[in-house]
Order: sequence, then structure tokens, then C-alpha cells
Amino acid sequence: MMANKQLYLDNAATTAVDPAVIEAMLECLGPEATYANPSSSHAAGVEARRKVERARNQVAARIGAQPDEIVFTSGATESNNLALQGAVKARAAVPSHILTTRIEHKSVLDTVAALARRGVDVGYLECDSQGRVSLDDLAASLTERTAVVSVMHANNEIGVVQDVAAIARLCRERGVLLHMDAAQSAGKLPIDVEGWQVDLCSLTAHKLHGPKGVGALYVRRGVTIAPTLYGGAQERGLRPGTLAVHQIAGMGQAYELADPAHDGPRLAGLRDRLWAGLSGVAGARRNGSTTHCAPHILSVSLPGVDGESLRFALRDIAVSAGSACASDVPEPSHVLSGIGLSDTLAQGTLRFSVGRFTSADDIDTAVERVRAEVERLRALAVSAPAWCSS
Amino acid sequence: MDYGSEVVRRFETGQGAGRLAMDAPGVVYGEAEDRALNVWVRFYVQVLDGRVAAVRFRVFGCPHTVAAASWAAEWIEGRDVQSLTELDVQAGVRALAMPVEKVGKLLRIEDAVIACWRKLTGQDRAGNGS
Repeated sequence: MMANKQLYLDNAATTAVDPAVIEAMLECLGPEATYANPSSSHAAGVEARRKVERARNQVAARIGAQPDEIVFTSGATESNNLALQGAVKARAAVPSHILTTRIEHKSVLDTVAALARRGVDVGYLECDSQGRVSLDDLAASLTERTAVVSVMHANNEIGVVQDVAAIARLCRERGVLLHMDAAQSAGKLPIDVEGWQVDLCSLTAHKLHGPKGVGALYVRRGVTIAPTLYGGAQERGLRPGTLAVHQIAGMGQAYELADPAHDGPRLAGLRDRLWAGLSGVAGARRNGSTTHCAPHILSVSLPGVDGESLRFALRDIAVSAGSACASDVPEPSHVLSGIGLSDTLAQGTLRFSVGRFTSADDIDTAVERVRAEVERLRALAVSAPAWCSS
Repeated sequence: MDYGSEVVRRFETGQGAGRLAMDAPGVVYGEAEDRALNVWVRFYVQVLDGRVAAVRFRVFGCPHTVAAASWAAEWIEGRDVQSLTELDVQAGVRALAMPVEKVGKLLRIEDAVIACWRKLTGQDRAGNGS
């Protein structure tokens, strides 16, 4: 089992399913379990419906929503698509305008790009060098045609956390919907969609020790979006199809287990221990905000080493790269480019992300391994020109 | 990206990496780089009595680049000085099972080796670095 041999510090990509979540899912699988279609009116269907509604309550409670504001989907990618396409579609009579940032997840960027090809105007808000959205730019960019603003709560690569409450205030003043992608923050940071006046919020299960293949979209009461799929009345007609009871029950359990008040400080402690160790590597640079940062994410650029070589040297540690290396010319991360890193530095960047099952020993081991490999690779490149380090 | 066993071995051992003392007889170095490919390489060669007596290299690049520099250093050492212009790139591609999209990096290594020859033969007036 390769996964067990590896030191796993890639919890922003996905997480191990918590045993309590597995147990909740198993209750919905198998001939003796609650496997019926929750849309059926017989007793077994009603029991399945109870499981779904329990999960809906669990998810809603974690983000300060009402249960009837939760629409289950296949994950945050689908939720982002439904939120943005649905918001534009519901306002089809008016030529639409969307505002977002260049450091969003691809499921937002690609969706707005697709909408742009259909004639929707898309504007990109300025972010500072730490990735924080400029509120002045937002205020100046909102127009009468703006249908929705889409901003992620915590960035998946550098962890920067946006001031969603302030962004929401500006949107509300101008009568514009705010969509928040909370795939990375849910369960790790407090979320209060009601208090913040967020209109749409994308959620997933697998980033907080739930199963893959299930997520949700919070849709504030009174907010109208159009479906993007057709074929049934499930989930208020916004997401037709037989509900995956075991997935949904797992998501509910994961959201009940996740406790930002407890998990957040613990994860932040591990992240800070990691940075305390890695900051001792000459030239190491932490990306993103140190004060407005998701507790589980640490993005570190290590100048003077080739990113592909560093990742290969550290292949016993599961971490993410600052680039996609599928060819002779690695493509730097759009997020790292978006906050001003050079291509070389972006390629020499690693994203570490800790989770519920990460220990302090894991962190110390990772620090030693990274230090050793950076030193070895830098020794190979003594006398290299400045561009290799900048 | 998958790496063949020879690439892994050379990347992990760094076989042939290092430098030669520039005040030793017959030592020059040559460099090449390609920022777009994320490659920089410097070869040190010592030529005595018309033969390449010693080779070392410094390198910045991906595992294939590191392995290719190591392979090239081994290939050159012991051959006559003219071999510096005749690096068998295809043999390197085969030895390292190098994917076609990485061959450009091996060509930069060839450039660095040829730069050594230019210095040795006086075709590079920038000096021999000694």
C-alpha cells in the first residue's frame, strides 16, 4: 500500500475518510442497510430520506445555514458550475456580467470562461501580492449588469483567506449575488453564511475526511438560480437524479465531526511548526498571507532548485507542486503567477497541507527531508545564474 | 512523469557532479542554458595529451537533465579531445529512455560540452576561465 508508506501532506487535495464517516456510509449500503431510494414513499424510502435530511441538517449547521438551503451535488466543481451558470441563466433577459479573481479554482475559472464564450462579460478583480482581493477594486468594478461575484473563501494553493463579510457587504449594497467557494475552508474555519450574507456557497466532503463524489451548494432563501441538469424534482429541481444516500450520509457525518474551533488551532499549530522548520532553509519564502491564512495550507517557494527535481527527490512525501509538469516546459500555477511569482520560482514551490491524521513527527520528518534534498540539489547547481534562484 | 531506472540512479547519486580545480593543467569549462526549458549546465573538462582526462559538471534542471549531464560526463571521459564535438546524443536518449519532449535539454548539455572544446581550441576568445 503505497499510500501508507508515504508521508501524506496533501490534505488540500483530498483527505483520508474518517472511520466514523465510513461507518455512517456503511449504514446506507448492503442488503440490511438503508439503501432505498429516498424519493420512494415506502418505509424503506422514508428511512433513507431521514438519513438525507439528517445530513442536510449536519451540513447546514456547520455553515450557519438553514437545512432547506442545502442542495446536494457531486462535489464543489459541480456546485461552482451550478452556482455560476445557474445565476446567469436565471437572469437570461439581461446581458450578464460576472466578477471573480484570477486565483480561483479551475472549476470557477473554466466555468466563467465558458460563460464568456456565450457572451457574458467577465471581469477579474485585483489581488495584492498575498492574494487578498482589493475591496476598492471590487467597489469600482460592480455594475448594474453584474449578476454575481465569485470569490473563494480560502485559496487552495496558498491558503489566503478573503474578507468574505466585507465583500458580501459591498455586493449586498449593490444588489449583486455573492458566490463563495468554501471547498478548502469548510470545517477548518468558521463559516456563517447567514451572518455574512453570502448568497451561494460551494461545499465538498472529501477535503474534510468525507467521501469523494459528494458536495453541496448553499442557496440562500429567496435567491433564484436555474438548474443546469434536468430529469427530476430532487433537490428542489436544482439537482435532479437519485440521491446518493451513502455519500450524503458520509458528508453529513464529516461535517458534524469537523469542528473549526478545535481542528483549526491544531492544524494551524502543525502548519506553523512546518514553517518554523522550513524557514531555516536559506531563501525559503512563504507565499500568501501569514495573518489571513487557512490553518492547513503552507505554500513555500525554495529558490535555487528545479521544481521537478525537488518533487521527484521528495517523492516519498505526498505534497503538491506549483506547476504542472507534463511536458518539457512546465506550466506554472495560475495562482502563483497571479501573485507575482516568476515561472522559475513558481516551479520551485511546494504546497504542504496538513490534516486530522497528520502528527508532529510527520512534520519534523518532512522538514528534515526537504532540507536535505534542497541542500543536495543546490550543491549540484553551485554557480548557476541568478534566474535559477529568482 | 515517469523516470527510468538509469535516470533515477544518476539523479540520486549525482555521479560525476562537482568541479575541477581551474588552476590544474588543461582545465576549462563550458556552459549552456535555456531559461525556457529551465536548464543550466556547466561542464569542466581536463584535457591532457589530447585526451579528456577528467570531467565534472554542475547542473540546474529536471531529473532527466541531471541524469543526462551525468551520462554525458561518463561518455566523454577518456576519449580524445575531438569527441567533445561528437557527443552521441542518440545514445544518451537511448541510455536514459528519454522522452522526446526532454531531448531539448540533452541538446543544451551538448552545447556546454562543445563550449569546452571551443575554449580548448581557441575558438572562444572569451577565455578559458582559468
